[in-house]
Amino acid sequence: MSSEEAVPVVSVRDLTVEFVTRRGTLRALDRVSFDVGRGEVLGVVGESGAGKSVTGAAIIGLIDPPGRIAGGQVLLSGERIDNLPPDQIRKLRGKRIGMIFQDPLTSLNPLFRISEQLIETIRVHSDLDAAQARARAIALLDEVGIPAPERRIDSYPHEFSGGMRQRVVIALALCAEPDFIIADEPTTALDVSVQAQIIALIKTLCRERGTSFMLVTHDMGVIAETVDRVAVMYAGRVAEIGPVRDVVKQPLHPYAQGLMGAIPSLEGQAQRLVQIPGSMPRLSAIPPGCAFNPRCAQAFARCHVERPELIAVGDRRVACHLYDQPSSGSAGAEIVS
Amino acid sequence: MSKRADDELPFVAVRDLRRVFDVSKPWLNRVIEGAPRAYLKAVDGVSFEIRRGETFALVGESGSGKSTVARMVVGLLPPSAGTVTIDGVSMNDAEAAQQRQQLRRRIQMIFQDPYASLNPRWRVGNIIAEPIRAFGIVEGEAQIKDRVGELLRLVGLHPDDSRKFPHEFSGGQRQRIAIARALASDAEFIVCDEPTSALDVSVQAQILNLMRDLQERLGLTYLFISHNLAVVRHMASRIGVMYLGRLVEVSEGKSLFSNPRHPYTRLLLDAVPDVAMVGKAREAVKGEIPNPIAPPPGCTFHPRCPLVFERCRIENPAIIDGVACHAVNAGRVVAA
Repeated sequence: MSSEEAVPVVSVRDLTVEFVTRRGTLRALDRVSFDVGRGEVLGVVGESGAGKSVTGAAIIGLIDPPGRIAGGQVLLSGERIDNLPPDQIRKLRGKRIGMIFQDPLTSLNPLFRISEQLIETIRVHSDLDAAQARARAIALLDEVGIPAPERRIDSYPHEFSGGMRQRVVIALALCAEPDFIIADEPTTALDVSVQAQIIALIKTLCRERGTSFMLVTHDMGVIAETVDRVAVMYAGRVAEIGPVRDVVKQPLHPYAQGLMGAIPSLEGQAQRLVQIPGSMPRLSAIPPGCAFNPRCAQAFARCHVERPELIAVGDRRVACHLYDQPSSGSAGAEIVS
Repeated sequence: MSKRADDELPFVAVRDLRRVFDVSKPWLNRVIEGAPRAYLKAVDGVSFEIRRGETFALVGESGSGKSTVARMVVGLLPPSAGTVTIDGVSMNDAEAAQQRQQLRRRIQMIFQDPYASLNPRWRVGNIIAEPIRAFGIVEGEAQIKDRVGELLRLVGLHPDDSRKFPHEFSGGQRQRIAIARALASDAEFIVCDEPTSALDVSVQAQILNLMRDLQERLGLTYLFISHNLAVVRHMASRIGVMYLGRLVEVSEGKSLFSNPRHPYTRLLLDAVPDVAMVGKAREAVKGEIPNPIAPPPGCTFHPRCPLVFERCRIENPAIIDGVACHAVNAGRVVAA
């Protein structure tokens, strides 16, 4: 019992993903590590190109050549899955790890009724007969909040609105009762009022089924309201990871601080937004040392030479030399801009 | 007709603007299937005013008609009915054609997608110089080049960037180029249609700050279209909330957020995920925007409205005192 509790559902260890191109090898993920516990929602946030989506794809083995996993491990309930042969990882996909993509219209086949798509998926992963699978599909649609599911199940995807379609996609991901669902920007294509409904649904599923989620998004607002812990990514690396309340209210990493200050909020007075100078480096030109050093107002000599490792600060882990005081005497105090 | 009257006269006045799109099936289908003609009322009687030097924002979800309003205001789309008057010149009146020509250069637009709004085959210098040449604002190639350099510096780029092509820039830099182009004709009124929706948050902050700085320095007037309430709150002095082609609430910027009056505005504000809301529970939002081809009768919001009563199902509420809602206007609801 206790060993079951202790093993995280998904554990990513030093995961490195590289893309071999004509102009050299690009490192899209650089030694990324995190755990997701049972029934936990982990948020992964960052700007475009930070490596959020690649992280999700790497976990379920969807990195296609020229990309490859160049190092590290992915463990699912303690078993390594990153080195499994393709046919075995395919069995895992959907069955134990579900996936929800950004655009609900392209995740559904427009030529088939959703009943066919749901029943097919259920029967692939279980030994229910057609009638049982249909009953189960209707139950799932009901669970994700589709009104009159017994009637709506025979509709085609185009007959649903965007929010309803995303509910169908979530039902599809739940078919095999996976332990872990990767949701890649699940609400980005939706309007705010519908987005709130989908967020509420994800939270309910977590609570009631104990499913773990990895929620990939660029929207800090969604992260703040949905997840338990959050990882802030920058240039393929984890900059800061910790309980969402701490990271949102009091970010430690200078990039996380800039990111939080840059978001216009609905509360407080509308001051000038915090501005991080420049933009994220291209993967072909990641600076030595800390990847954030050219944009960081607090960078000092060490940041330009040595890459910071994730170090524990309270409940959090931060990859920043400012918080690594003991190793060098005056680190953090000297500020060179 | 004195220039002094400017202060009282709104800079931009939109009166009862309407736009209907014909979304009928092709003629043959209508004949064979007996399908009736179908119309979509994208904008249905929208009126507002923008004062000189202020930022008026239109917010709403997709399909609410905010972009259609923007396109009609700049004259990219002829309205089906209603008028747009900018600085006393009618944008629809045939007789004002001469004056309108003069007005054109003072109105510019910034679009959502900086990847699509800049010609990929033109160098940035030419993109920005085009309005200068077209309106004959500066004569002589050397002077035009100087002006382009000046504009690039104004938006935080380098004059040498004028030799580059758009693909050499990031999304945020491209939006800066689009802003430089809009300013090239000495524009006073800029219509911004979701100017930061395609950008990352840290870049969005740079562009929003730049737009505010430029407004302060050059006295610009903005019509700002966005679906993002937090961005609108940051930018706008006055805000109009749109729902299904109608303006449901117009309010001074801050009070819309501290004291939302229309039930739809409240729903919208409740739905926005916000970093300040970490760990708090919220009310569940119900329903979605109905099909605009067959909108519900009466107030179009009534099927989702918690305050609905008989009159809402029959009669479309007019905007009274900034709110188009029977329940609010009848005093049934006291502002929360």
